[in-house]
Amino acid sequence: MSLSGAIDPTPRAWSAARPATLAWIAIALLALLLYPLRATEPWLLAWPADLVPPIEPALDTAMAWFTDRFHLLFRALAALIRAPLEALRALLGWLPWLTVTVAAALIAHTAGGGRLALLAISTCLYIVLFGFWAPTMNTLSLVGVAVPIAVLLGLLLGVLAFRHPRFRRLLLPSLDVMQTIPALAYLIPFVLLFGYGPVVGLVASVIYACPPMIRNVMLGLERVPADVVESGVMAGCTRRQHLFWVRLPAAMPSVLVGINQAIMTTLSMVILAAIVGGYSDIGWQLLSTLRKSLFGQSLLAGLVIALIAILFDRVGQAFVEGGRARRAAQRRRSGRGRTMAVALAMLAGSLLLAALLPPLWVYPSGWYLDPGPLLNDAVTWFTVNYFFLTDAIKNAALFFVLFPLKIGLEGAVRPGFWGFSLTPLVSAIYAGLIASLALLAYRFWRWRGFGAVLGFGCLYYFGTTGTPWPLFTAVIVALAWQTGGPRLALFALAGMAFILIAGLWHRAMLTVQLCGAAVIVSFLIGSAIGILAARSDRFSRLIRPICDALQTMPQFVFLIPIMMVFLAGEFSAMLAVVLYAIVPPIRYMENGLRGVPAQSIEAARALGCSRRQLLWQVQIPLAMPEIMLGLNQTIVMALYMVVVAALVGDVGLGQLVYQGVGTASFGEGAIAGLGIAIIAMIADGILQSWSRRQAAARGRR
Amino acid sequence: MRTDHAKRRLSRAIAAAACAAALSLPAQAASVPESNDPIVLAINEWTGQHVTTHIAGEILKRMGYNVEFVTASYTPQFAAIEAGDIAAALEIWEGTGSGEIFDKAVASGKAEDLGDLGLKEHQSFWYPLYVKELCSGLPDWKALNDCAEIFATPETAPKGRLVDFPLEWGGHNQDRLDALGINFVAVPAGSEGAIVTEIKSAVARKAPVLAMFWTPHWLFSEMEGEFVALPAYDDRCYEDASWGLNPDKTYDCDWDRGWIKKLAWAGLKDKWPAAHSMLKNLTIDNETQIDLIHAIDVDGKPVEEVTKAWVDANEAVWKPWTE
Repeated sequence: MSLSGAIDPTPRAWSAARPATLAWIAIALLALLLYPLRATEPWLLAWPADLVPPIEPALDTAMAWFTDRFHLLFRALAALIRAPLEALRALLGWLPWLTVTVAAALIAHTAGGGRLALLAISTCLYIVLFGFWAPTMNTLSLVGVAVPIAVLLGLLLGVLAFRHPRFRRLLLPSLDVMQTIPALAYLIPFVLLFGYGPVVGLVASVIYACPPMIRNVMLGLERVPADVVESGVMAGCTRRQHLFWVRLPAAMPSVLVGINQAIMTTLSMVILAAIVGGYSDIGWQLLSTLRKSLFGQSLLAGLVIALIAILFDRVGQAFVEGGRARRAAQRRRSGRGRTMAVALAMLAGSLLLAALLPPLWVYPSGWYLDPGPLLNDAVTWFTVNYFFLTDAIKNAALFFVLFPLKIGLEGAVRPGFWGFSLTPLVSAIYAGLIASLALLAYRFWRWRGFGAVLGFGCLYYFGTTGTPWPLFTAVIVALAWQTGGPRLALFALAGMAFILIAGLWHRAMLTVQLCGAAVIVSFLIGSAIGILAARSDRFSRLIRPICDALQTMPQFVFLIPIMMVFLAGEFSAMLAVVLYAIVPPIRYMENGLRGVPAQSIEAARALGCSRRQLLWQVQIPLAMPEIMLGLNQTIVMALYMVVVAALVGDVGLGQLVYQGVGTASFGEGAIAGLGIAIIAMIADGILQSWSRRQAAARGRR
Repeated sequence: MRTDHAKRRLSRAIAAAACAAALSLPAQAASVPESNDPIVLAINEWTGQHVTTHIAGEILKRMGYNVEFVTASYTPQFAAIEAGDIAAALEIWEGTGSGEIFDKAVASGKAEDLGDLGLKEHQSFWYPLYVKELCSGLPDWKALNDCAEIFATPETAPKGRLVDFPLEWGGHNQDRLDALGINFVAVPAGSEGAIVTEIKSAVARKAPVLAMFWTPHWLFSEMEGEFVALPAYDDRCYEDASWGLNPDKTYDCDWDRGWIKKLAWAGLKDKWPAAHSMLKNLTIDNETQIDLIHAIDVDGKPVEEVTKAWVDANEAVWKPWTE
């Protein structure tokens, strides 16, 4: 009868849920007690400032001590990294663009044939014609040094973690921290340690690119088929031989996926190198154009990164997929030597040609194409002509979504926009509405639905900043307990306590409000697009390059047109987050729906399901694990964007990270960064455990 | 000791002769360069700073130095200067919240205050000229209250909206508005790009806008505007509540005119003494900088070309700095 079988409370689940039910009743009582108390007890909304321990100065002192002691060591390390970086930079800077283009086309051709070669050539031509060649080569040399370091480190740590379970238990949580703490938070201490220059951005990229590599190596090693392992044992391998000659080669596909992901994350992070500076790369161009508010030019520069990322991704995928087929082909070996000779001849020829025709070596700056001003004019034209419309959209979003989530209906309902003020009568009507909605939800989803509607009703009425912290913490810890057990609950409790005691509560609630709104919007719109894409192949083909561009384009690019149209403020910040976080729900929804087994759909059709029934009662419930994974990714990406959102006027934790950079204070940025990481890890933990449980429940059936 | 001295003098004379012959430079540059290592100058994110730095670099080059320009973000550059990775940064603005880091760097003994650059900054509430037609009575600050409504957005209504500096730049603008009884809300914009975009968007729509802004800035080569005439700044205003129009509150006055200074690595003085004294003497005024900014940002000429032309034409100005 129920819509989603997994939630159907069987008698067994009911008895297990009993203590949880009691906990939720206790929380409801707590809410009834605490909401009225807020007016007289201000400490319920924020930890008293004079009770905040001096974590920040302590961190600053510790960092100063550490820098004094060890900076020579780090300087030496920096010099070690800088040597290959400078060499690569010199080489790429010297090579004619023609030769680099030919080389890129040859590599792409080997990986995936003519179409990929064409993509490589057009990417290179774009970079040359629009005048980004020199900074692009600088960016590429950063990537060229960062990726091998990340890959080697990832291999090493992945193998170690695979062999020593104790090390793995230590490593896994630190990977989460590495991936969720905003890189900006540690740029300042890195400048002190490694000295000024591109090495700082490079190290930051490595820190960010390592975790996916490590995870993929571990995954690959674990998933080696048993018969392969056995054959290694039969052949009498030692442990070391077994690892290097049997397991690692068998895990190669996973390792290759890891390398691909390492390249992609590095590309998205090298932009940060520019925030430190010392290197005239694409990131620097982007930041300069952002400062001058030149949308056209920053879009053109951002496209360089997006195109390179897409090219690398496609070539990498082609290598992974084509690996097996190629190995079979290589056994024949016949044409291989000749291909190599032809390639070398083409490279040499391109060098010679470039030497004869200087514009083929260095493209003259007078010939650059610059449609930047045209693009700027287009944005200005749109702003002038459609401001009335965009303004209406913005105000609706602010007054119906963002303000209520922040300060609650109690603060947001003003006669100016709503047409009425929040009289007791209006509040009573709202309460009645929520109560009947909750009863309706009870009919479909039982107590979970009832509780969820009541919870959201309260949040919408009181807002994140108007909700007392003991209540908010209790709800989160209870959710963590129910989905992930006592360990997750303990982590959630400790994390929330840190945020509270470090004096970040108010800021954290602003971040929760912004990300919460952005996640809801992204998830709703993204899922709808995903459903459409799953139904129509043509729409899917149309939407895919847009998704690729949204995800690989440096996020700074969209800030200018957003601000031009919507002005600085919360709505622009939300929009910036949405543009980035909308991609996972599109992708996971489409993949999930397309992955539903054909026989389930046929069976449903045979039963006479309409198209709508098929979608809501068969496809979506079956695709639930993927959809939840998409939601999870949406949240993580939204929190990743919090720092960028601060650039257009968000004043949550992200802004605090900037403050740390602005005052060169390590402590301030680190605490705020840790706050963001904690929120991300709690949300991630709860959702992952939940989707694991659902998948397990489905598996049992 | 004495022979050593003589030897050095001889080698200097030879160098001078070579220099004079090759570059036809006056004998004044005889002793330089004291070292052939490149003098690294910081290039920050705004055009005015590029003008200042490239002028300094061009003069140093003509003195015989090896000069290197390196892109540097504003805050991280302080650490780089203390470490000697960057020799000098020539435009540090007190007003943008960097006074404290500047003082900290100088106090560490690893960086040296090279004195005022000579630019006169002014930052305050600013509006494009056409706004005057929408709100007559400007630039007098008292006029703001009467037209708060036209500056209002639904978020701030019925109060007007002031596009403020990012929070991390500091500034007490809400205190200022409250103390003067101006019926406005300060909305932090998040970044310089955000403020500029707000202004550009408003100018495109000919909409009323009031923003926190500063001069010299390249934007002024594209559009005209005025600062609001707030009650003049006084040292007591920020400290003493009883001073000024509002007897109960501080900040009832205009912004303090902060300094714009040059900062150098402490080792500059010993390694390149003549370069040190030139950078110390270096000054530039608002008019010169705005002219050159205009040539770069509006006429689209490269910064090297514009600054080289200025150095060629103004030898009388910069020659004394090198002496």
